[in-house]
Amino acid sequence: MAGATIWKGSIHFGDTDVPVKLHTAVKEERIQFHFLHRRDQVRLRQQMICAYEKEPVPAEQQSKGFEVEDGKYVIVDPAELDQTAPESSRMIEVHEFVKTGQIDPIFLDRLYYLEPDMQDNQGKEYSALVKALKELDVAGICTWNMRKRSYFGALQAREKMLRLNTLRYADQVIAVGSLDLQDVPLSEKELKIGSELIEKMAAPFEPGKFGNEHQKKLQEMIEKKARGEKIAILVPRRLKPTESDQLLQVLEASLKKAA
Amino acid sequence: MAVQGIWSGTISFSLVAIPVRLVKAIEPGRISFRLLHSKDYSPLARRMFCPEEETMVPRDEIIRGYEIVPNQYVLMTDEELESVSPERSRTIEIVDFIDMKEVDPVYYDHPYYLVPSKGGEKAYRLLVEVMRRTNKAGLAKFVLAEREYLVAVTSRDGALALTTLHYSEEILADEDLSPKKGKTAAEEQNRMKKSIERMIENFDPGKYADKRRKKLTDLLATKAKEKAPVEAPVVEQEEGAGPADLVAALEESMRKVKPR
Repeated sequence: MAGATIWKGSIHFGDTDVPVKLHTAVKEERIQFHFLHRRDQVRLRQQMICAYEKEPVPAEQQSKGFEVEDGKYVIVDPAELDQTAPESSRMIEVHEFVKTGQIDPIFLDRLYYLEPDMQDNQGKEYSALVKALKELDVAGICTWNMRKRSYFGALQAREKMLRLNTLRYADQVIAVGSLDLQDVPLSEKELKIGSELIEKMAAPFEPGKFGNEHQKKLQEMIEKKARGEKIAILVPRRLKPTESDQLLQVLEASLKKAA
Repeated sequence: MAVQGIWSGTISFSLVAIPVRLVKAIEPGRISFRLLHSKDYSPLARRMFCPEEETMVPRDEIIRGYEIVPNQYVLMTDEELESVSPERSRTIEIVDFIDMKEVDPVYYDHPYYLVPSKGGEKAYRLLVEVMRRTNKAGLAKFVLAEREYLVAVTSRDGALALTTLHYSEEILADEDLSPKKGKTAAEEQNRMKKSIERMIENFDPGKYADKRRKKLTDLLATKAKEKAPVEAPVVEQEEGAGPADLVAALEESMRKVKPR
């Protein structure tokens, strides 16, 4: 079962309008821990403290500032911030279409399933759009305002359905250049054997194969502790890093092992 | 200055092991605000606070607890957490190399980068380059704090990117949302295709600045002209302060167990 409708809007470009309903696509269930004070097991809470006075600061003494230069802030009050919120609208405006392969996956944020809204004549327009996007292998780059925020996203077709994937803004993605990676020369032989090894280890993507066994093991450990049993402390496995001057030999041994 | 790591360990494929650190790939963006104390304009920091003693609690006095019945907790130390899956808490072992095209984007969760630690530069470069050449991504599982993640490691602009993936049991079904069997008019579809074809461009995320950000930048510029910016008092960096927030707390506790 899909999640509940979270928002309704209409996809618009040219003279096309397709009314849709957004649904969440993912539901996470996780074991939730709390942070406690070790000595008396009192549950801790997060508190904003003044970095200068080292004292807790109540909400009414907090303001929002934008750092214009080191340690200097422009204070903005909530009413002013509200004025910058986007006007509410129901339009998902498609600005352009791009080949799906061009979208760098690092930009992909949250995905929503789109359900045809009944206003659309039995979903005819919806289905026509699905087919058109698939035949052209494109995604629609669009913007819309939802819950006082502007979103930027990619409208995509998969099987019989449309989906809206929110995209991250370009200034949110950290460029590889800032990681200061070194360029290390590699021999053609190392690259060739490395590539062969990867091809040998190639497999189809079968997500069903990977269950969250860890969650079950963690649950069992919690139950064991609750019964007062002792937990064996296991040392994390640490692999010895491959030495640079042995990389070729290790690759060759790996390839032999994979064969 | 090296980037601060969230996690450190090794990434391996077959017999090759590369020491790496996990670093963030996403940041808040240009316009983000800080919370300040209205009285002295000092920035605020998020700390763990004991409501009974009304004091800030340093990180070595914090422990995780699982609430079994209201107000009763099972305590878990970092060492115990690492013992749940000791083979995966310090190693990202690539088990398969896959074609990312087969991965439905609904699986994508959050991207990070891996950067090589000392001595791992050459093998790191090799993995980046061979995954680029073969157009493959490494599939692995690893554990960070209390969670185990299914991850895809890809080659991106000369770096290893690591994207956490959702488990298939977390993906909701969409069948009940699909359009009821209705015929699509070929005419309608052709009209749409023509309209789409006229609008095909190259992907350029840089041109989509958040509309709100433009308004914010204008507002900030006006305000900065009207009134000089306020200045925060200088605070000397304290050592051993409590964790900045919950995520940082998790990261801190993971960092305490340093690699040899």
